[in-house]
Amino acid sequence: MSRFLGSVSIVFRRELLTVQRTPGYPALAAGLLLVLGGLVTVGGGGGTGFVPAVVDLLLPTEVLVPLLGVVLGYRALLTDATSGELTVIRTYPVSTVGYVVGVLFARLVALLAVVGIPFALVGVYVWVTAAPDTGIFATHSGVDSPLLFVRFIAFVLLFGAAYLSLAAAVSTVASSRRSAIALGLLVLLGGVLGGDLAILRSLAGGASATGIAETLALTPNGAFRGLVFEHVVGVAFASDGEFVHTGRAVGSLVGWTLAGTAVAVVTLAYRGRLDVVNERIRRRGGY
Amino acid sequence: MSEHTLAELVDVTRTYGGVPVLDEVSVSITSGVTVVVGPNGSGKSTLLGILAGAVEPVDGEVRYAHENGADAGKRIGYLPQRVPFRDAFTARETLGFYAALADGDPDAALADVGLADAGDKRVAALSGGMRRLLGIAQATLGNPAIAVLDEPTSGLDPAMRERAFRAAAARANDDTAVVVSSHDLDLVDSYADEIVVLDRGRVAAAGSVERLLTDHGVENVTSLFRAVVGDGASAVTDAGDGDSDDGPENGDATAPESVHVAGVSDR
Repeated sequence: MSRFLGSVSIVFRRELLTVQRTPGYPALAAGLLLVLGGLVTVGGGGGTGFVPAVVDLLLPTEVLVPLLGVVLGYRALLTDATSGELTVIRTYPVSTVGYVVGVLFARLVALLAVVGIPFALVGVYVWVTAAPDTGIFATHSGVDSPLLFVRFIAFVLLFGAAYLSLAAAVSTVASSRRSAIALGLLVLLGGVLGGDLAILRSLAGGASATGIAETLALTPNGAFRGLVFEHVVGVAFASDGEFVHTGRAVGSLVGWTLAGTAVAVVTLAYRGRLDVVNERIRRRGGY
Repeated sequence: MSEHTLAELVDVTRTYGGVPVLDEVSVSITSGVTVVVGPNGSGKSTLLGILAGAVEPVDGEVRYAHENGADAGKRIGYLPQRVPFRDAFTARETLGFYAALADGDPDAALADVGLADAGDKRVAALSGGMRRLLGIAQATLGNPAIAVLDEPTSGLDPAMRERAFRAAAARANDDTAVVVSSHDLDLVDSYADEIVVLDRGRVAAAGSVERLLTDHGVENVTSLFRAVVGDGASAVTDAGDGDSDDGPENGDATAPESVHVAGVSDR
């Protein structure tokens, strides 16, 4: 186990160094900060409080965070595979699981910086400019509070991690940067629009509306939105029922993250073997 | 597997798109320097890739003497034909990563290949020859039992070729095999203990240099190659850079004379 953790740590440090030397990532963070700040300003400024700021940011966040997750993940595992360095790394005592986990952890740290810092700065801006009663660390519903924004950021990061992991997973099946971009866009569109469209379709097909809370949690966007309504926006007022089952929603986001990691590991570990199986079939079939 | 045999390829076949690149190849790798030679497209890189574990054979098997050992460290070193390191890293950072995985010393490895003064240079700023030396240093980090180097002299000037070959050969000893593919038959003459001659995906000749020269009644490896491969020899003896895919600087001037497996480059 210690050897496994050691190799994860070595891969992690190498990937983190790569991330630090990628000049585009600070620009992405600055761009996100600009957009978030603009949205809050247009929505009435920081003086309106945390919950109104979250309401203003919610819809753009459902597009921007997946986009940044995909940008951070779409080449994460492709670079070494296409350059041939992965074949070299495999001659060292590091497992495919250790390699994937090390790379993804480093990318998650990048997500924390590129996405988490701009959101945190917006939170600080709201805290500084909002009315005095928003400075209360609320422990009960009905009161705006910085803790609600902290929760929001935590959900944002969980949400982004799911997309990052899924983008990294599809990058393992891509054969070039261009195909990785195409697959990343497919993940983005499928995640942002696909889940909601599927729910609408099931409702149109006669599914019960009472099941929406359960179905919503299955997609990353639905789970994120449900958690924000349940634990951030909904806390500020008394709601009639739950927007989403919390455990199911958190489990869904963690599950998508783990599923992406698992797909990446399996693809990297067995892609070569699949190629061999294809060749054997060709050989025996004589074509 | 005999006492000095470190690896064996037994009836190994590899196809790409149904086209055979290696066809029932059996080779034993013993300690010392083994050089794989052959015309472009003869399957050298595929053979080395299979030996290094980077390519899976479609049929046949690869056996290693270290398979049953308790040591979980690095057992095989591999330098692919195209040196794959990240451009933004320095030579020391590159080796530092691999050294950390193999419990090696990056500075000693840089010094071994004569790159001690280039440790702080980014990979992107290294010349083709220095990149290959860095690749050799990487492949031999951690003292693997078998170091597999795919055309370590490709695209280099004569002095750098000699230096690269010397650095590679220096790693070979009684317990270590260095397996190199090369088109530099004069250097093969100087450094090889064993030769494997590949032609159209099959082993045309294999064994110790002395024995093969005696068996074919020739004086050097270039003549041996001509005797074994025939017309395809011109592609190699004139080639120098051979079938490298390492960018324009390596050229592909020999392509028209090359012997190719239909539809397949020297993968």
